Amino acid sequence: MPDDQVFTTKEAPIPRGPYVHARKHGGLVWVTGQIGRDPESGDFVRGGFEAEFNQAIDNLEAILEAAGSSLDRVVRTQIEFVNESDLDAMNRIYGERFRDPLPARTSFGVAFLWKGAKVQIDCVAAAD
Amino acid sequence: MSVPGRRSVVSRRGPQPTATYPHATVEGDLVWVTAQAGRDPGDGELVAGGLGGQLDRAISNLAGILEDCGSSLDRVIRTQIMLVGEPDFDAIDAVYGRRFGDPLPVRTIWGVNFLAAEPGHEVVRVQLDCVASLR
Repeated sequence: MPDDQVFTTKEAPIPRGPYVHARKHGGLVWVTGQIGRDPESGDFVRGGFEAEFNQAIDNLEAILEAAGSSLDRVVRTQIEFVNESDLDAMNRIYGERFRDPLPARTSFGVAFLWKGAKVQIDCVAAAD
Repeated sequence: MSVPGRRSVVSRRGPQPTATYPHATVEGDLVWVTAQAGRDPGDGELVAGGLGGQLDRAISNLAGILEDCGSSLDRVIRTQIMLVGEPDFDAIDAVYGRRFGDPLPVRTIWGVNFLAAEPGHEVVRVQLDCVASLR
């Protein structure tokens, strides 16, 4: 058994499967892919791609803070999205939410995501 | 080329690599494992049982590779799962939840259009990779 810390917070949508929100190991926090679900209701937020992506980043941020990190300590992000037509909105919102020093990033189009989600984002960040 | 401090591992407990990759690399106290499909380590054939059967075998391959690297399934930090076809997340969770216990890893899943397969012979429904610790 590792002595890693495991984090699941009420400030992000509760896991609907066998996973935790975050794991801390060796100075890094690893976060499960987040989608645009409201933390309280667990339902997708309304408002299409932009609302979903902003909510997914809100969820990521809440998890990072619960794990002793923050958005500005993110080292790497990975973004999956379903519709190519959402690319510009993705880049614009991402640019509003992530600041210097910007993380490394990989984004790509996918065939589908959980329950019709339009976008998903995960990350690895530095911890305290 | 050999890099000091890093080990590349090819295990007998995973299907033999069919291209230029090892099963895993070990760097510091982390093990990075190449994505595994539901192939039998002996003959390399895809196992029966559809999505659930393939995922179960793929996790067994990960487990064998991790153990040969000095790690184990219960030290997995993160998994990534790529899924083809019907988005049957319940089937994924049924198998995955039986194989992974506390402390559960973080996880990211997405659907893809295809995974590496023998053309015309079979449909690889799922693959998963992981990062695990040695301690």
